[in-house]
Amino acid sequence: MRKTTKKTMRRLLVGLTAGLALSATAETAQAQEILLTGPLAGAPAVRKLRLYREGRFEVAPAISFTLLDEYQRTILAGARINYNLTDWFAVGLWGGFGALQLNTGLTDRVQDVNDGRREIEAARRAAGGGPSVSSRLTGVNMGPSFEDQVGSIDWVASPQLTAVPFRGKLALFQNVYLDTDLYFFGGLAFVGVSERQECDPGEGKPCTAEESFERESRMALAPTFGLGFSFYVNKWNAIGFEWRGLPFARNTGGFDNHGGGPDSKFPDQRVNADDRDFKFNQMLTISYNFYFPQQYRVSE
Amino acid sequence: MKKRPIGLLVAAALCVCPAAALAQTADEPEAAADGEEVAGDEVPDGEIPDGEIPGEEDLGGTGLGDICQIDPEACPNLDFDKEAAKDLGEQIYAVQQLYALRVRRFEVQPYWATSLNDQFVNHPGPGLALNYYITNVLAVGANFNYYRPFNADSSFNAQVRRAARVGVPLTEYDWGAALNFTYVPAYGKFAGFGDFIFHYDAYVVGGVGAISTRPIPVIDPDNRTFDFEPKLAFNAGIGFRVFFTRWFAAILEVRDYIFSDRLENDDTAILNDPVAVQDKDRWFGDNSLTNAVQAQVGIAIFLPFSFEYRLPK
Repeated sequence: MRKTTKKTMRRLLVGLTAGLALSATAETAQAQEILLTGPLAGAPAVRKLRLYREGRFEVAPAISFTLLDEYQRTILAGARINYNLTDWFAVGLWGGFGALQLNTGLTDRVQDVNDGRREIEAARRAAGGGPSVSSRLTGVNMGPSFEDQVGSIDWVASPQLTAVPFRGKLALFQNVYLDTDLYFFGGLAFVGVSERQECDPGEGKPCTAEESFERESRMALAPTFGLGFSFYVNKWNAIGFEWRGLPFARNTGGFDNHGGGPDSKFPDQRVNADDRDFKFNQMLTISYNFYFPQQYRVSE
Repeated sequence: MKKRPIGLLVAAALCVCPAAALAQTADEPEAAADGEEVAGDEVPDGEIPDGEIPGEEDLGGTGLGDICQIDPEACPNLDFDKEAAKDLGEQIYAVQQLYALRVRRFEVQPYWATSLNDQFVNHPGPGLALNYYITNVLAVGANFNYYRPFNADSSFNAQVRRAARVGVPLTEYDWGAALNFTYVPAYGKFAGFGDFIFHYDAYVVGGVGAISTRPIPVIDPDNRTFDFEPKLAFNAGIGFRVFFTRWFAAILEVRDYIFSDRLENDDTAILNDPVAVQDKDRWFGDNSLTNAVQAQVGIAIFLPFSFEYRLPK
């Protein structure tokens, strides 16, 4: 019985290997046939291509949604402006401002706990007691209103280059046919960020003071890159979907996380640039693109 | 066992053959369509040097040369640049054949998944999906995800606990499995760099199954240990498949697994009661509707490898 099983396994293995090899051969023969004798042999991959981009300006009002936010989600309203030097290369600018900033569930939760603690502290003080352990341990990190101390992205402006290596078409429900392209972009982003201002008891700015929890603005520089799809709905309009990465360091919670201990991995009772954590900020963008002039060229 | 090396050698030899054929191009002498051999210094079929007309040197001989000798005005004098610029007049069919038919084929999808919306615990892991296409656009299938050794508790959680003294209930996953329907409403093709063409399709997928999860003890890790428990889970997603051959493709899918998760009890008041902290019924807190959105990147293999079109072009 065991011998038969072994024999069967052996045959199966040989057969499977030979079968795989044969299937590879068949695939090659097919490609050869098209290359040599097909009616389009030697013809370009695409003829009479609609050049939606070449020599045209692109103005694309856009809405961007940040992803994987810890304390605050941002919806940016903005636009992308490109000039397409060729059908596959463009120079331009993307920008947006934080039109809507929404708390995450975590922020609401911390805010609730903080409010509860402050009520208890007020009662203790009224009764002549001192601050609780929680209050003392979180004094540097938790202000009167947590949601007012969390960091936010206020605006972004990014000069960028766009390459469009892929052009194609899409059939939806075998009924609607759209021209599409897939593009990649990269550039340098100027990011307006609000985060908790710096404090240092050694410089007379104690981190437990209420005013130390106020936020201040700064501008960060960050690389930005991503990819997107355009779906052309007519000669001069398209719908766009885009993913963007915007990595840079920021202090999202306004906490004292780093600066002390070995490798500065522990709190140091100060809030400063050391407390910024590198964050791979991401966003999804939906846009409606206008192309000018309204008429496109067609390739040979 | 003695035959195995022979079989493998045969297979290896067969694998080498197509590699040589692939390297063949239209301008190689052996590639002459009529099968005749072409001399080494002759121009291969289909290639014409600039400014030369085939047979021009032989005009005094036979064939075209005879015509030119008898009546020079009738001598064919073609401008090949102009001829090349003319429309090919190739036959274009009203409905082109789809590059890869899916109907009555199995699709095997091994993939790697990673969380897209859980900033507290990342749940990456391998997965496998198996689909059978009942029609060219509709499939039934199943998928399985394995997370257990790969759950990654973010350092951000510890920062929140330390800085704000707020514990966030955390969850880790063990496995997930689901029965699904897949519908392919969109397909298309892309020209890459204006040179090569590849085909793709987009699909929506949805189904029902189970996901096994348990809380990571955060509030009272000294006393609490949790076992994995399966929960009913629904899922919905969209995917994008790029075909490299008629049976091999790459996939990118975003899937939302929706389930009611049992979280750890975050009521710290009971921690002062030595009896209550040992009561397992009080370890669990509220149930929470969870959307575990994950990206799945992998490959798709269609079986059988080949298929036949029902109608000619």
